[in-house]
Amino acid sequence: MAQERKLKITVDHDVCVGNAMCETFATNTFALNEERQSEAVNPQGDPLAQVLEAADNCPVSAITVEDAETGEKLFP
Amino acid sequence: MVTAVSDDMFTDEVLNDPYAYYGQLREEDPVHWNDLYQLWVVTRHDDLVWLTRHNELFSSAVFKNDPRPPYPTIYDSDLGLYEFVREYQARQFIQHDRPVHLDMRKVVHGYFTPRSMEEWRPMVKDVIKDLLDEAEERGSMDVMRDFATPLPLLIIAEMMGVPRQDRPYIREVAEKLLYVGRGEPWRMQNFSEGIREMIEYVTPLVEKRIVEPEDDFISVLAQGEREGVFSRDQVISNSSLLLLAGHETTINLLCNGILSFIRNPDQYELLRSDIEGMHVKANEECLRHDSSVKSITRIASEDVELRDKVIKKEDRIRWFISSANRDPRKFENPDQFDITRWPNPHVAFGAGIHHCLGATLVRVEGQEAFRAFAERFESLHLDTTEDQLEYQPSITFRSLKSLPITWN
Repeated sequence: MAQERKLKITVDHDVCVGNAMCETFATNTFALNEERQSEAVNPQGDPLAQVLEAADNCPVSAITVEDAETGEKLFP
Repeated sequence: MVTAVSDDMFTDEVLNDPYAYYGQLREEDPVHWNDLYQLWVVTRHDDLVWLTRHNELFSSAVFKNDPRPPYPTIYDSDLGLYEFVREYQARQFIQHDRPVHLDMRKVVHGYFTPRSMEEWRPMVKDVIKDLLDEAEERGSMDVMRDFATPLPLLIIAEMMGVPRQDRPYIREVAEKLLYVGRGEPWRMQNFSEGIREMIEYVTPLVEKRIVEPEDDFISVLAQGEREGVFSRDQVISNSSLLLLAGHETTINLLCNGILSFIRNPDQYELLRSDIEGMHVKANEECLRHDSSVKSITRIASEDVELRDKVIKKEDRIRWFISSANRDPRKFENPDQFDITRWPNPHVAFGAGIHHCLGATLVRVEGQEAFRAFAERFESLHLDTTEDQLEYQPSITFRSLKSLPITWN
């Protein structure tokens, strides 16, 4: 089931260590790039709960999630 | 390029000052074939980052996949002990590759998220306060014995659900397990004895948690057994791993960090002038400048080209955090201890899928420790001479033997 709420997801590449847990929790949303750092390739790829779980499981807190339309901060 | 550096990585000189030796390799032959021990020594920051993020090329299952005897040489009569050691080490989740590693990591990963580790911060602060109160009452402190060892040991014991009164025993056994990174030909005797004692200690705790789970970390591993991810032997081996890794690395961070502040009083003053604003950055710089873990191993899963060298399938590799964190290509004035450095992309915790599971806990402990010192002590001084400071003869850990200090 895809995400209906429009999300703005950012991954801070100054801190991302390529642990790849986000990719495990939200498989359709995150993917590793050539540098093996995470990118939110499809912000609508997974249900919100999964995206939030992915962000929560980032060991270096590199991921932020907000509502793209209202700007409401959803994580952290 | 062939370098003139000697291949003996276990001399007193190299063990005491890894920065000169591995720094020279980093500049002259960054992917160096060490002929003496038959392994590749990788020392540049960008190579470490690349290597650790390409886990499909470099296997972490070193104990399982390396058929060669350990380096440096051990006594022939101890080769049987080494087989026992290999079998035990190979059960640790960090000694696995994907896909099995991912299944194992998922069992333990959720316990260590930054958010859940924040819940431990108040307890960390309380323990620090008690330890420093005691030190002030005594009027003296060996940072190693009186602060850096008891703090993380108490926290990890709480986390694992290990009785408080058993902590001295756990440390005694842990010290035998640290022989994993040493060079003496008889080291397998101590190491295997430590393993046997740890198994004996942990087994009844695990058996209890299988039947009556609590909210501690051994129960998390026991749950992994119920889900079919871990065998009983793996639960025991990983419980021991976490007990050791959960305190040894923090001990070194705290001691090495306090020593850096003693040697750089201007940086201590800077921390004291804005503790709230600086303690997080200061901790990251301590992690970078004199890292707890010096080196980690891998084994090549296929032929890999790195710089002008070809690492052959099944070749052994040791990558050096100590030199990568001092790489001038990545850090300006890398040998300088500078707590304003930010961002600080050090590799003290490694990178990629094997990035240190306990990194966030280490951070909470380090931040609160350096904060508490700065709040309490105007200045710190060595209560010995520089030439009396000694390091454990380990290629893996950067461990002082003791750090006696005084303060004003």
